[in-house]
Amino acid sequence: MISKIMAAGLSRRTFLKSTAITAVGAALPGAALAAGEPIKIGFLAPLTGAVAAWGKPGLDGCQIWAERVNAAGGIELSDGKHPVEFVSYDNEYDPAKARTGATKLIREDGVSFIMMLGGDTWPGVQPVADKTGMLFSTLLPSDLSPDSTTLIAPTEVHPIYLVTGVDYLADTYPDAKTAVICAQDDALGLPSVATYLAAFEARGIEVLEEPLLFDPATTDFAPIVTRMMSSNPDIICLDTCYSDYVHPISEQLFQQGYEGKLISATADFYDQMIAKTSKEFMEGFIFQFPDFDDPALAGDNINFEDAKGFYDAYAERHPGEWGAVSWEYASIMDLWKAAAEKAGSADPDAVITAMKEGGTGKHAFGDAKWWGTELFGIDNALVGDWPVVVIEDGKAVIKGFKSIPDWYDQHGDLLIKHMQAYNQMYDQRG
Amino acid sequence: MLDLLAQTGLNAVYAASYISLVAVGLVLIFGVMGVINFAHGELFMAGSYVVVAVYADMHMPFFFAVVIGLLFVGCLGLLMERALFRPLRDNPLGGLVASIGFLMILQALASMGFGVRMEFIPPVTQHVIWFTDSISIPLARVYVIVAAVLLLSALWYFLKRTRFGWALRASAQDPQAAELQGISIAHTARIAMFIGAGLAGIAGALTAPLVSVNPHMGHSVIVTAFIVIIVGGVGSLEGAIIASVVYAFVHTFVTTFYGGVIADITGLSLMLVVLIVKPTGLFGSADRA
Repeated sequence: MISKIMAAGLSRRTFLKSTAITAVGAALPGAALAAGEPIKIGFLAPLTGAVAAWGKPGLDGCQIWAERVNAAGGIELSDGKHPVEFVSYDNEYDPAKARTGATKLIREDGVSFIMMLGGDTWPGVQPVADKTGMLFSTLLPSDLSPDSTTLIAPTEVHPIYLVTGVDYLADTYPDAKTAVICAQDDALGLPSVATYLAAFEARGIEVLEEPLLFDPATTDFAPIVTRMMSSNPDIICLDTCYSDYVHPISEQLFQQGYEGKLISATADFYDQMIAKTSKEFMEGFIFQFPDFDDPALAGDNINFEDAKGFYDAYAERHPGEWGAVSWEYASIMDLWKAAAEKAGSADPDAVITAMKEGGTGKHAFGDAKWWGTELFGIDNALVGDWPVVVIEDGKAVIKGFKSIPDWYDQHGDLLIKHMQAYNQMYDQRG
Repeated sequence: MLDLLAQTGLNAVYAASYISLVAVGLVLIFGVMGVINFAHGELFMAGSYVVVAVYADMHMPFFFAVVIGLLFVGCLGLLMERALFRPLRDNPLGGLVASIGFLMILQALASMGFGVRMEFIPPVTQHVIWFTDSISIPLARVYVIVAAVLLLSALWYFLKRTRFGWALRASAQDPQAAELQGISIAHTARIAMFIGAGLAGIAGALTAPLVSVNPHMGHSVIVTAFIVIIVGGVGSLEGAIIASVVYAFVHTFVTTFYGGVIADITGLSLMLVVLIVKPTGLFGSADRA
């Protein structure tokens, strides 16, 4: 019997892995839900430490999402409606703590799905995902590889969406022809550097020197800013620096008299940046994450329900704390909820099958396709349009939505070239 | 190129200023108390949070907040001396472990009191002093430089020209002999802890508007301070100041001309070379103050 299955295409390794997963899965508490029992969702992200700004606001957003869903009756599975409940674990952006957290969430809390920021913490969790078959999400598709079929990147397509900001910059300011890049030297910074290099090259923008990588423990950014400004670039790119870096770097650029264009993945808490610099200095700052009260998010193409209502509730409960990730985990939950309801089950296998059926999905910023084999070795990233956001008169404004797959169809070879140069392709990592 | 060198030099002077304030405090505590205060970075952090509370939240004048920062963190030093280091005076390892525990408590208190996120501190001044079109220094950084020069000069005067200072140095050089001369070791320990912690506190307070204030900000500061005091010679105040200047200039120039990661490697290499060539550091033995 076993030999027949093997002959039909199932390798010994796959068979053993499947058996192990089934055995471990059977031993997991809370894997099967009773009618009306809460569905528990794991939130495994940095809630303290330097990267907390990309974890904690997401959990705050999830709580609002849960209240909205539960007020509407909960999530409807085949056995009836279930309220949803988030169980959080602070991984402090540490791989070992992330691994402990994943194990706890699965074995003790009985979660049905775990959301992560990803990045440096994913390698710690990957063995747990492989053993248990738990469905995980990451905000960073650079975590994806064919080795982990239950890891998905359904909302944020970092760093690939960054190309849309560069395209906008090149279209709007054709005279800006030179750039420099700085980034922290980590799993967020490096693939982002590679993407910006590809995007600049695609638009004929010369990057004047090697991207300036700094230690994540850096506190004084004056020397880095002095170095960047010394080549007198038209554009300074802050890559995917954490907000703890974007703020002091921007302040230093202001104080050292920079007058060129600024582009960055994020500009979280940009009102504070304006207070430390000036409205004029921040005018035209290009980044990728809108405020959800933007009228452009009320369009028919948007799949995030009542974006403005969500933003208003968030702003009321957590004033001044809206950031890049405030909506993203909630958006993932929209996708997960739709898939679970379609499957009639919270079982990870059933959910991911329903989620990827037809190869397309409803991304927050429009319909998108499951994509990524060339870049990640697996089609587990949901990729479509992404907004370009610009600070105008002290407020973030969506200037348009641009297609990431369209860019990749034209310039994918450049992205692969630079990803390879930084050892960021899926077959080079880890 | 000259402009770039000059701007980098100004950046280095600022870095040397706040590093020396922290490192001298650490050396003073080690010299008199005989313990490596691992919580020194968190004392720096506490000084920054005083500015968050007094200046950013309560809207009191910045320099008033800085003085409060010095006094508050100095008092934290007194608390550490009484609660941690005095009971463990004959157990240097115990003092070190206690200071690690204290740093965790301070981090937890900061997280509970202020949250885990970077704190926003309104700019104290946006005035920038321009020397040429491309050489400048923000006034807020000048404050740090001036404070470092004044405070370290005052400390030098205190240690070399006052009876309390002599008592402090005597306690550091030979506690038993000092005690036989009628010097209260407990009293000198309190003075050393207040001054040492206060220097870290005022460094944190003055730099708070210039850096990201968060509960974990002390980590990088303490690493830098340890490198500096090892290079300068554990126990040597002069060594700590000179090593701060050397480290700051090396790190800043390497960051500017080669990159931040290489600068960190260079700083650590500098420490390793000194440890190999002169294990007591550039300026003296471990029992000086």
